[in-house]
Amino acid sequence: MDTEQKSQQTESGGEFEREPVPQRSLLGFKSFIGMYAGEHTAGTELMIGPLFVAAGVSAFDVVVGLIVGNVLAVLSWVFMCAPIATRARLTLYYQLEKICGRQLVTLYNLANGVMFCFLAGAMVTVSATALGVWFKFPMPELSDKYPNSVGWVIAVLAVGTVISLVAAYGYKVVSKVANIAAPWMVLVFIAFGLIGLRQFIDATGTQVTGLADVWTLAKTHIWQGGDPHPGRVKFTFWHVMFFAWFCNMAMHIGMSDLSVLRFAKKSWYGIAAGTGMFLGHFLAWLAAAILYAFQMHQDPSNTSVLPGPLAYQAAGLAGLICVIIAGWTTANPTIYRAGLAFQAIIPKSSRFRVTMITGIIATIAAMFPWLAMKLLDFVALYGLVLMPMGAVVFMDFWLIPKLGLRGSYAELSGRQFNWAAGAAWIGTLAVCLGIVFIVGNWTLYFVALPGWFIASGIYLGLSRAYQRQFVASTASPQIRPGTAQA
Amino acid sequence: MRTTTILMIVSMLSLVALILPSILFLAGSMELTTTKWVMLAATVVWFATAAPWMWKQTG
Repeated sequence: MDTEQKSQQTESGGEFEREPVPQRSLLGFKSFIGMYAGEHTAGTELMIGPLFVAAGVSAFDVVVGLIVGNVLAVLSWVFMCAPIATRARLTLYYQLEKICGRQLVTLYNLANGVMFCFLAGAMVTVSATALGVWFKFPMPELSDKYPNSVGWVIAVLAVGTVISLVAAYGYKVVSKVANIAAPWMVLVFIAFGLIGLRQFIDATGTQVTGLADVWTLAKTHIWQGGDPHPGRVKFTFWHVMFFAWFCNMAMHIGMSDLSVLRFAKKSWYGIAAGTGMFLGHFLAWLAAAILYAFQMHQDPSNTSVLPGPLAYQAAGLAGLICVIIAGWTTANPTIYRAGLAFQAIIPKSSRFRVTMITGIIATIAAMFPWLAMKLLDFVALYGLVLMPMGAVVFMDFWLIPKLGLRGSYAELSGRQFNWAAGAAWIGTLAVCLGIVFIVGNWTLYFVALPGWFIASGIYLGLSRAYQRQFVASTASPQIRPGTAQA
Repeated sequence: MRTTTILMIVSMLSLVALILPSILFLAGSMELTTTKWVMLAATVVWFATAAPWMWKQTG
């Protein structure tokens, strides 16, 4: 049984949902390598790489920024998420429930579900662009906000409906298909880059005798720097680095992957995330960017970011199949997870109905190309929204006991809504989003860093005042740092 | 058991066949049209041969 299945079992109310994972169910390092490599080589990588080019990034900034950012992301998994996961061995949701109380976790689930819906919408958009190659309907431009043709709407509707039905009926089958497709997909992504590179060499007449020539080609033709496309934030080294670090913030610093890494024998298994970062968030992004840059080299007026045509041009039908499968296999679990998050709010609702409604919302969102074309902003926002709860979990686990306060306060006091945690979440979002609105959109990629300290500070400060109401007689043994195996 | 081993070997070879054309194209030793067709063939072989043993492996 692999980690993906373990996490699905958890989400679907399977084993160890409300208890620590026992020693006998722990998994080896290899299980995490495969899972992370597959999970982070998704359909959306085909959007993100080109959007970097559209943001006017230079070759040095994108390559070095991605390396540094991805290393920081892996370190966040290793040093922030995994140590708590392998000590407490609880799902994020159960740990949050103990800290925050049922009502606050319900709000968190709602936010999580909404974010998953839109993320799935972007993945449906990616798959729908593949249909445009076959059926030749007008597809959205980079600056389009609304659906621009009936063909586009029908394509999104068709793809979204199929994905939603499969998520509702046969999620486990898709999960297996995703596992089978993962190694193939990684290689197709790499092939995109190699083919695009040769096309550039031929189109520019560059003489390549070594890596220095490839680097010159990258600087002068692929990632030229300069002004971004109209309406886009100009990306520098810092934007790329912070984006690469924070695009999965919900998972590492935001602690979503507690649910996955609680099955790890050792906390250093978090380093397995490096496979996903450097295959998906480095090679795949760069490869997709090369294809997009080549499209603009051929026709500077063609700024559309459409993974279907890009992949077809480079790798033919195999590329097109890759786009469909990459979008489909990643949209499915996302819709399924969103459905689970919503179902946790209304437990009596049927899983099928909730998943279908979630799928419909994602499909409607996918019809608006603005979502996919602004994917960089959305991904940054997604991490920001879920990050404060990660800070709360981190502080509750490591610092709260050292300050003489009680962790898992909601469980101990029997409260349904821990106001210290709630204020940390809402307060942090208010401050961070306030900065984004007042100072400018560019800050969206950076505010999560000070935001983490703001959330931590609010939670610690308010907990001191809030826990004065603590009734000692309700105290019960807790999982504390250093009490379990790391 | 023996069939599974053969399927595993063939599927691994199909992955080699998937990436090799793009390397040859980069080296200037293969045409793009041929590259695309070989990649498609390797894709078909991968899914046909990997699905049986990977399906079992994933429970």
